[in-house]
Amino acid sequence: MPDPVRFPVDDAFEQAPVAEARAAGGDFSLAQSLEVVVLEQDAPSSNAYHRYHIETQNTPDIVPLPPKFQVKVKKHRLIAMVLKELFELKGDLPVALSRPCVYGVFSRPVGGLAPREELCVGCLRCTVQFPGMVQIYPNPERQRLGDSLVRPEDIDTILYEARTGRVPVRGAGYRGPFGGEGWDGLWTDMSEIVRPTRDGIHGREFISTAVDIGEKPAFLHFDEHGEAVGPVPTMIAAQVPFLFDMPANAARSKALLSIFAETARQIETLALIPIPSVIQFSLEGQHVVPVIAKSTWSWLDRLSWSPCMVMLDGWDRECYDELRRRFPGSIACVRVPMDTDVLELVQQGVRVFHLSANYHGYAGDRFVMDLILQAHQRLVETGVREEVTLIGSGGIFMAEHVPKAIICGLDAVALDVALAVALQARFNGECLDRETAALSFPRLDTAWGVQRLKNLAASWRDQLLEVLGAMGLREVRRLRGEIGRCMFQKDLEREAFCEQGSEL
Amino acid sequence: MKAHGKTTEERIIAKHQEALHRGFQAWPSLAYDRPPAMGDARWTADLILATWTQAETGRPPTNGLEYKVGQSGGGFDALTFKFLPGEQWLPEQEAIDTSIPLNRRPYDRNIQIPVPWYGAGMSYGSISEQIMLARAKAARQWDTFTSSGEGGYPESLVPYREHVITQVATGMFGVREETILWAPIVEFKYAQGAKPGLGGHLLGDKTTVAVAKMRESVPWVSLFSPFPFHSVYSVEDHKKHIDWIKAIHPDALIAVKVSTPTDVDMVAVGSYYAGAHIIQIDGAYGGTGAAPEIAKKNIAMPIELAIPKVHRFLVQEGIREEVVLMASGGIRTADDIAKAIALGADGCILGTTELVALGCTRCSNCERGRGCPFGLTTTDPQLSQLVDPDWGAERISHLYASFQLQLRAILRRLGLRSVQELRGRRDLLIYRKEGHHEPAATH
Repeated sequence: MPDPVRFPVDDAFEQAPVAEARAAGGDFSLAQSLEVVVLEQDAPSSNAYHRYHIETQNTPDIVPLPPKFQVKVKKHRLIAMVLKELFELKGDLPVALSRPCVYGVFSRPVGGLAPREELCVGCLRCTVQFPGMVQIYPNPERQRLGDSLVRPEDIDTILYEARTGRVPVRGAGYRGPFGGEGWDGLWTDMSEIVRPTRDGIHGREFISTAVDIGEKPAFLHFDEHGEAVGPVPTMIAAQVPFLFDMPANAARSKALLSIFAETARQIETLALIPIPSVIQFSLEGQHVVPVIAKSTWSWLDRLSWSPCMVMLDGWDRECYDELRRRFPGSIACVRVPMDTDVLELVQQGVRVFHLSANYHGYAGDRFVMDLILQAHQRLVETGVREEVTLIGSGGIFMAEHVPKAIICGLDAVALDVALAVALQARFNGECLDRETAALSFPRLDTAWGVQRLKNLAASWRDQLLEVLGAMGLREVRRLRGEIGRCMFQKDLEREAFCEQGSEL
Repeated sequence: MKAHGKTTEERIIAKHQEALHRGFQAWPSLAYDRPPAMGDARWTADLILATWTQAETGRPPTNGLEYKVGQSGGGFDALTFKFLPGEQWLPEQEAIDTSIPLNRRPYDRNIQIPVPWYGAGMSYGSISEQIMLARAKAARQWDTFTSSGEGGYPESLVPYREHVITQVATGMFGVREETILWAPIVEFKYAQGAKPGLGGHLLGDKTTVAVAKMRESVPWVSLFSPFPFHSVYSVEDHKKHIDWIKAIHPDALIAVKVSTPTDVDMVAVGSYYAGAHIIQIDGAYGGTGAAPEIAKKNIAMPIELAIPKVHRFLVQEGIREEVVLMASGGIRTADDIAKAIALGADGCILGTTELVALGCTRCSNCERGRGCPFGLTTTDPQLSQLVDPDWGAERISHLYASFQLQLRAILRRLGLRSVQELRGRRDLLIYRKEGHHEPAATH
């Protein structure tokens, strides 16, 4: 990790590095002063080209999943049929015993008498051929996974991503409902002719998924010597636009938080961890963001290192000022409910926000998509959007939610439920918010957990690249707030089907 | 039970083929109710079984199977027709014209098809040669078309070349001077709805020796059709492409297949000015190959929303009468075809529907291992023999007959004597989403 040079943003910290450096007679160029901290796992030598990449590795589930399908065979009919065929085919065993399944469900020596349900993919060929003998049912045990928001098929997808690190690919067209509520009511744009080169003769063009988190003053001010004075950018460049949010209160084990912190380090992002856990579990490093609430303020005295970023959970003017004073070199972020008026806090000097909603994506009675749009728009209208970083969490649990949240106006998202699912946590009832969610994790092995989250991150990043590539964008930063490059179902339906002025 | 054949393999195939054919008849009869694990929101078990019935009999089912709409909760499934009162319906004996022209420009070849649809591009490799043949035979029988897709042009299709569209896509697989000269219509594929902006991808497992030979590549290696055309970055470049085809085959009509981005209307106008005769807009609900789930669900708009947008813009630009607009990627039923036309398309392009007629259960395992277990989207030498091309052509042909029958019934109830009169008549549609009952816009 390079030693960053950072600068404060407001008057209270004006004497910090530029002034100090100048006073010391040091050569303190603008180039140095604008340095962005790049979070890196193993800093390469300054001359080495470093192309960001997440290593994936097949990492099987440790808790076996119930099969997707139940294969019910009427055994007496099967035996009768085989005997009949043997008679009609005059003992032609290979033909009489040939089985319809190409996936090996009937591959045991006794075939359909003991089907291997775990291999069934639901193609239905067996039941089409032998309707009176074989029936395939969706397994109700599998259907019970998740809760009212995270559906069993979502769990399947996340587990596949965590297991393999690959982009989920299937044959045939889209099988789901027409649009829908929340994120499903938004489609991203594509370009027919413009996109970064992909798999062509020149190879795959690099698309950046790095995002800047920090304080970005709109203008730089220079003194008569050409030196920057006053606020200058202080940023962290995370290589992926997703951070790891604090886990549910009931699930804050050392193993889990260590997995978060270590994965964040390896994939060069940030893990948000409550300060008591940071201290108790000796979690340290530039990828760990201590989250401090008023109720846990006393733990702050035991923090012996200086983080890249600190997060204040809930707005409190005094606490915020004190954090800025204690950690002058750190980015100070304030975590507030998604429906907070961020402009008011911007006017009080806050530049980095974590807007949070519950796990189902609601703050009050409004869905995060609307709230993000509103917050972003408000900052745009007042001309301060470029100075502010918006991180958001809640209701973002599938890969497609990341680009959609960024299109609506976030700079980055913080992941919650998806991380738990990737680590095979079981939902005990509705997983609604951090305070009440009852998630049971299996016994976690750190290496296994880290690789699962790396796989998930790699898969989500690759899917983000697909979305960006289809839109012809070369970096995710350009996606932020690009609502002209997305389509809202309600608008399109109104345009297509309604009389002018009427409402759907 | 029949299991004819000289070799064991032939006898095994014959046994399973016969059992499958029995199953395709038995399930739609509902003697075993509906298969509990069959179907999804778009293609419900009822729609799949109803399509099997139509492929078997040439008529829609009469046993209560829902054959008009699925349960996606929007789009075609939320649209219904505002039929006239019964006494105003056109009489049964009155002829209803279902033909459409494929060239609306005052010059170039005049091609008319008797039904407002033709077959979608599905490449050799994504489907078997048997399926390509079945589709080509049906196309000839109905004097319509099927498309080669981008995987080469098997020799066996040459006798049907008057009914085969040659597709030119970014991988240029199978694009040769003779395959362009054979084609009455040459189709440029800029994008496809199932993976808009992502290009094509044939997984290594499906690149068999035969497929690789056809595509002039290496067996068992994944093949990409990169996106986009690296020689096309503007409408002017696009025109160059069209000029290139016209230079080789001046008599060919040009179709352009695009996806449904937010500016799909502008793309359509650009294609028209570049010289295209047919603009095909492709939604995300079709596709037989491997496609990232994130793309199918989230990138580009559904076809139901794109059709009126494009139609309206072509009208505003004053060029609607000179270009043919075809819709694809999610057309399942005769009702969908009629609705797409009422929304503004001239006709539709069918892909998945034809595969369902041949036994597809929409299990979405097209890309897995040996490919489709029903012998449809596979090039596995054994599995592909499960479909006999003549049997397949008959099934598709029956489906077409049923669709034409239903389309005529719809037109009759709307008091229209020609399917061309239906185009852009959004005033004849009602959009009913759950809890909403709003009229569609007047045209």
